[in-house]
Amino acid sequence: MFTTGSKLFLGGTVLSLAATLIYGATEGGGPLGTLGLVSVTIVFAFLTGINFWVRDSNVSSMDTAGIESSAAAHAAPGRSMWPLIGGAGAALLPVGLIVGFAITWVALIVLMIATVEWMVQAWSEGASSDPVYNLGIRRRILHPMELPVLGAVGLGLIIFSFSRIMLHVPAAAGAIIFGCIAAGVVLFGSLIATKRTVARSLVVALCTVGGVGVVGAGVASAVAGGRHIAKHEIPSYAEGTCGAETSGESDDKSSRAIAAKSNLAATIILENGKLRADVAGVVGNPEVVTVPRSANSFIRFKNLDHGKFRLVVNLGKEVVDPKAATLTYREVKECTQAVEEGGDQFIILKPVTPSPRDPSAPDQFSFSVPGVDSAVLGIVVP
Amino acid sequence: MPVPSNAGSHRRSRARRLALPGAAIAALTLLSSCAKDAPQDTFQPKGDNARNIDNLQRTPFYIAGGVFVIVFFVVMFCVFKFRDRGQKIPKQTHGKPALEIALTILPALILIGVGIPTVKTLFMLAKTSDTQCVINVTGQQWWWEYDYPVQAGCGGITEPIVTSGEFVFPAKMNVLLKITSRDVIHSFWIPALNGKRDAVPGRVQTLRMEADQPGIYAGQCTEFCGLSHAYMRMDAVALDAASFETWKTNQLAAYESPADGTPAKTGESTFLTQCSRCHQVNGLVNADGDPVISRPDQYVYSGAAPNLTNLMTRFDFAGASFDLITDDCRDKLWSAKPADFSALYLKGVTPECFDPVNLREWLRNAPGKKPMYADPTKLGPTDGKTRGMPNLNLTEDQIDQIISYLTERK
Ligand code: HEC
Ligand SMILES: [Cu+2]
Repeated sequence: MFTTGSKLFLGGTVLSLAATLIYGATEGGGPLGTLGLVSVTIVFAFLTGINFWVRDSNVSSMDTAGIESSAAAHAAPGRSMWPLIGGAGAALLPVGLIVGFAITWVALIVLMIATVEWMVQAWSEGASSDPVYNLGIRRRILHPMELPVLGAVGLGLIIFSFSRIMLHVPAAAGAIIFGCIAAGVVLFGSLIATKRTVARSLVVALCTVGGVGVVGAGVASAVAGGRHIAKHEIPSYAEGTCGAETSGESDDKSSRAIAAKSNLAATIILENGKLRADVAGVVGNPEVVTVPRSANSFIRFKNLDHGKFRLVVNLGKEVVDPKAATLTYREVKECTQAVEEGGDQFIILKPVTPSPRDPSAPDQFSFSVPGVDSAVLGIVVP
Repeated sequence: MPVPSNAGSHRRSRARRLALPGAAIAALTLLSSCAKDAPQDTFQPKGDNARNIDNLQRTPFYIAGGVFVIVFFVVMFCVFKFRDRGQKIPKQTHGKPALEIALTILPALILIGVGIPTVKTLFMLAKTSDTQCVINVTGQQWWWEYDYPVQAGCGGITEPIVTSGEFVFPAKMNVLLKITSRDVIHSFWIPALNGKRDAVPGRVQTLRMEADQPGIYAGQCTEFCGLSHAYMRMDAVALDAASFETWKTNQLAAYESPADGTPAKTGESTFLTQCSRCHQVNGLVNADGDPVISRPDQYVYSGAAPNLTNLMTRFDFAGASFDLITDDCRDKLWSAKPADFSALYLKGVTPECFDPVNLREWLRNAPGKKPMYADPTKLGPTDGKTRGMPNLNLTEDQIDQIISYLTERK
């Protein structure tokens, strides 16, 4: 005979089978939905089978006396907060459907957690007549899930709060705060480690104060907003920002490419009004710099002269529209930001056309520095 | 009825069980000693760098061999001596500090003994300060491009040289390859000359090259890079110093347009309409007399196609996969003595050696010859750009004319 559990699973099987059929008939059977529903049906059928096999065939459901006299039948359900939380989740669900998808997700997660927790609690309370054992078995099942999740959420909260604090305070203060907190943690930890007699409640209290402090300060900083971080425009020859005027900004296009810094094709150095090149793997300073075609080359510009200077790269001319009746050309030029003495700038070159073969032809490719006429260095693209 | 003893059959089956692995090991040993003529054999170094690697691996190999033999015999001894004959299990003990300490120190010493020469060799192979010649190597699906930057090295280069498939360098010179990629990760390996180095897009990695003798050394892309990875080969060609100078001059020689009225001339105009958008031929001019600049970046995913200015100075094409010469001529080239090699190589593809079959098949339908992503209906993911050369649906006449044109590119 079927016990209650098996009946539940059997009901689930029938329901999901019906859902699969209806879905298949009405939606034309979208592959993902069908797959999901078929899987659910199979899972339910499997559970029914398992339950029937290991339980129903061992315990006679006709043996009502046995069932009624079992521990499970005697324990009254304990107090539980999960119905409340589950109710909150259920209430949140329609709100989410109206307001936004993120809330729906939260509601679904809350509902799921509440369901699992409630089910396990209810089951464990009837597992035996010994409440201590019942509590233990609940923990044994749920702690491996609860603890990592709670730990991750807690850590995430602390890290997020901390990052908000660091973004809020001035950059220099950030370093000091970071150092102090780290030192504090080390100190605190070693104190506890050496003085084993320290009261447990003290440790808990200190940790709580620290945690609440960080999260509180984090929330406050998040509300107050981050400090001002300057964003700079990329200079563009076409927009006339490649000239000799000095802006002193940093070029965030090139400095974002971390690979550039570890992987320079060449360093172009401005010294005493002249440009010289340091090319990876090449001994000495070549008279012209060869830059491969159709491949990224990372170039560093180093200004060793007094004043603010930028590097301009001139890669000849390019046809504006190859299909036009009369071809018009535009200059292919790029530049770095201007930097002060001792400063660095990066630029990525990817020339797609070769440089003129004849060194006396017009439109040679070159590096130059606006405002310093003597600073010119040839570029060759094979 | 007497029960037949099966002790004999046991012995026989054990012998039979050992026979197969034994024969296999014997055969393998034999076979591996046969590989006299293996062009991609790291155990036959043909240059300083490869020799450093080979020397390095030999000592640990012998040590490991010794350790193997000792361990093997000790284990075998124990297995036979103490096998279960129904005797009593000996008294079990735990720990033997002296032995344990000795067995920790001994491997540590062996590792240090292997480590010191390893680190030394690593530094030796990473050295760039003694470079005498720099060559850029760029991998792309599925061929290698070599360009020779303008430099004082390599005996002086005033105009960049671009070639593909075969990279030519002076023997006995410390060459530094600067290796990168235009699309996915490839790996450059000439086993007879040095270890391998990955070609990673956005990174430039260096690899030393040195060949003791003029000759041709085979290599292969050794990082799986997609469809035609197996067709991504390369040849390293070492020439004597004087021949290398001749080779350079020849690579930079002025362009010669075919004589008017010849099939090659018609081939040139077909080349202008069909090929020059991808392939650069230095010095080629259009009807207005302006230099023709290829724009492979607009048609090919990697942004490059082989430079065909001097196609007939190399002996194979499309990732060094297909020969331009007959098998006979190929054998002669590959087995030439170091003293004769340079002169033979400099001749390029001669009319006697030229075998147009592969080239013709290539021009008829390149993706049919070498698998490539060139089906115009399936180029969505790469913005309409091909990976490899598309089928250009040329007529047989056009192919003949283009071949006449290309045979003059030397
Ligand atoms: C859409 C660009 C494109 C066009 C157009 C094109 N090719 Fe190619 N070609 C390539 C690419 C890419 C390769 C390299 C393929 C490989 O080796 O994997 C190549 C390889 C070759 C090679 C081998 C070169 C070597 O050194 O390995 C020859 C020869 C060649 N093409 C001839 C021609 C001729 C002749 C035409 C005109 C009829 C032509 N190609 C048109 C892209 C193109
Ligand atoms: Cu490859």
